[in-house]
Parts: sequence; C-alpha cells; structure tokens
Amino acid sequence: MNITATPQGPVTVVAIDGSVDSLNAEQLTQALTEHLAAGCRQLVVDLAAVPYTSTAGLRALLAAVKDSRRLGGDLRLAAAQASVERVLSLSGFTGIIKTYRGVTEAVASFAPGG
Amino acid sequence: MDMQASTPAPAVSLVIGSGSVKCAAAIGVVKALSAAGIGIERVVGCSAGAIFGAVVALGYSADEAASAAARLWTRELTGRRDTLGLLRVLLPRLLRFDAASFGLRDDTRIRASLREFFGERCIEDTPIPLHITATDFANGELVELDRGSIAQAIRASLSLPFAFRPVSLDGRLLVDGYLADPLPVSVAIKHGARVIVAVGFESPFQERVDSAGRYAFQISSIASNNLLKARFAFHGIAHHAELITIIPEFRQRVRLFDTAQIPYVIDEGERAALEQLPYLRALLQADAAAVGAGAA
Repeated sequence: MNITATPQGPVTVVAIDGSVDSLNAEQLTQALTEHLAAGCRQLVVDLAAVPYTSTAGLRALLAAVKDSRRLGGDLRLAAAQASVERVLSLSGFTGIIKTYRGVTEAVASFAPGG
Repeated sequence: MDMQASTPAPAVSLVIGSGSVKCAAAIGVVKALSAAGIGIERVVGCSAGAIFGAVVALGYSADEAASAAARLWTRELTGRRDTLGLLRVLLPRLLRFDAASFGLRDDTRIRASLREFFGERCIEDTPIPLHITATDFANGELVELDRGSIAQAIRASLSLPFAFRPVSLDGRLLVDGYLADPLPVSVAIKHGARVIVAVGFESPFQERVDSAGRYAFQISSIASNNLLKARFAFHGIAHHAELITIIPEFRQRVRLFDTAQIPYVIDEGERAALEQLPYLRALLQADAAAVGAGAA
C-alpha cells in the first residue's frame, strides 16, 4: 500500500494505492495521525485505487474520523470502488461518514455552504 | 523433530450467513480455499447457510456438496400448504392458535429430506467443529447449537417465520437464525477465531408487492438487511478478529429456489474468494509468525 498526500487549499487529499488490511492498517493510521498532528484537519481519503478494505482498514479509518472531528475537522471518503463501497455500506460507514463519488466533490464539500 | 508436524496448516473460520440458494456460494469459497491449501478450522452456519455449513463440516467435496445442495434445497420442500396453520390464522380462538405449531407451509418434506441426507449424525461428531445458529422465540437471543442432531438443528435454523413452524429443543422454542443475526460472526469470535471468512448476503427486495406473502417478505428483508449491517458493523469495528467479507456479486438474479443456478452461484463464490486469496495468504503467514513469536 502506498499513501500520498496532496494539499488542495485547506483540504489535504490522502490517496491510497492498494488494499487496506490488517497487515498495513497501522501504516494508514500513522499517516493520517501525522497529517492531523500537522494541522491538516480537513482530510479527503481518495479510495480510487483501493480494491479492498478489511475490517482492520475500516477501524483505522474510523479512528482517524473520530480524531479529525475531535479536532474540529472531518475526514471524508471519495471515489470508492464498488467492492469497497459494499463493505463500507455493510459496515454502516456510509451512515456516519460523508462519502463522495469523486475527489473534486469531496474537496468542494469542505467549502462554506458545501 | 519434525518441524512440519509442529506447524499447523493455515486455516480460517468460515461463517455462512442466511441467503437461501445463494449460500451455495460458500461451496465455491471452500473450493478456492482448499485449492490454495487453506483449511477450515470452524464452521458457523445460519438458516440456509446451516445446510452448507454442515456439508462443509462433514468434509464433503465441492461436487458432493453441490449435488447435496440441489437435493436439499428445492421448491417442493415448501410447496405444500399447512391448511390447519392457515385456518388457525383465521380462527385463532376456535382452533387454538399456538406459536409452537404455527406455520403456513407443511414442513414434512423438509424434515424428511434433512433426515434422509444427514441421518442420525450429530454436530459434535463432524470432523470440523460446527455451530448452527437459531433464535430463541421467547427473547430473540441468538442460540448456538453445537450438540445434537444436525438435521434437527438445521431445521430449527431454517424456521422461516410464518412459513415453517418453530422447533422445540431443550426447553426452548427456536425460530430462524437470521432473526438474531443474519451473519453470525460473533460465534466464531467467541470461540477465539483470529481470521474469519464471512460469506454473507443481503435479502432481496421484492420486485412487486401484490400479496400479503410478498408484503411479509419485503418487511422481513428490510428488517434483516438493517440487522445484518448493524451486527456486522459492531463486530467488525469492536473486535480485533480479522473479518474478510465475501459478498459474491450476482449479475443474474438468483431467486429463492433457483437450484438450477447452483453451479453459477458456486462459481461466483469461488471467483469472489479468489480475489481475496493473495491477502488471505499474506495475513495467515503474518498470523502464523505472530503465533510462533508468541510461543517462543
């Protein structure tokens, strides 16, 4: 799994390449924690290149969502593939985390009135 | 010392949720796991998933399991009405409505069919530990059946509300396992499973609702799909066992008794499992290394 971060105005887009699972969830947690600690509190996680996420991956995302909201920000998900979307839906994530079809919409959602 | 003998073969716990004929996908999942040298250390089955779970726990090959499924899950099983059951709905006081004997479908054939196939075999005797789930009618709790007649436990797990009468077992009245949890991964977690392959299905919604029966099915699907998500979300997030979900995608519509579709359903289950294999292999290797380090 590779993780890259790109600032887009006040929003940081964290793109993941590869599956998120219990073998690498810690790496994701660490990356997201570092961004939050650096003051990036509006995060978009780009899932376009994620073919699968296990429950360990979901736990990592949920922990980062909680941390970002505690700090006054938010973590939003974008561009999930159908297979990942099914797991997100089955796990109830789509009910508690904002998800968007594309990164552009997710970034725009942070704008006032977005 | 033979190191090979001291290293357990990689294995997962398999949970097969409710899902009528779609549960046959579990056979394809087992096929893919076996071909990859991954064993099954425990099986949990719910509702129709209990049939396939029992077949897997008894060690049937994929072909034998497919043939068993086609014999066990047929429209004829539910084809006959229970006229007295219907009359009891209309005249409850006169005919003494009783929950323990209420069902609108005659279950004689399904009981005979299960008994014919599984005979007197017991859950505790299966080569792979087997757990069949049902629901306590009195309080809605999940009941884990891990002893006694396989045929009777499956029949209890398959007590589809309104269709089949509940089953009285050990002083409890049992109804369909999906009412407590359509995908009971909690049972595997409770028994210490670290890696769980969960084969689950959402209940299909009705294309049209033009009868009381379809109305009841629609209500049941709404409730069970919401329950599936709520329970799965809780167990996936709250526990540290790794849940690998296999939700086969059926491009063709698979109806309740589409036994002709069993080969297709098995293929889709196998395909979905093959997608997860690289990760599963790596996970089991890491798990074995962690266990080895802990034991050292």
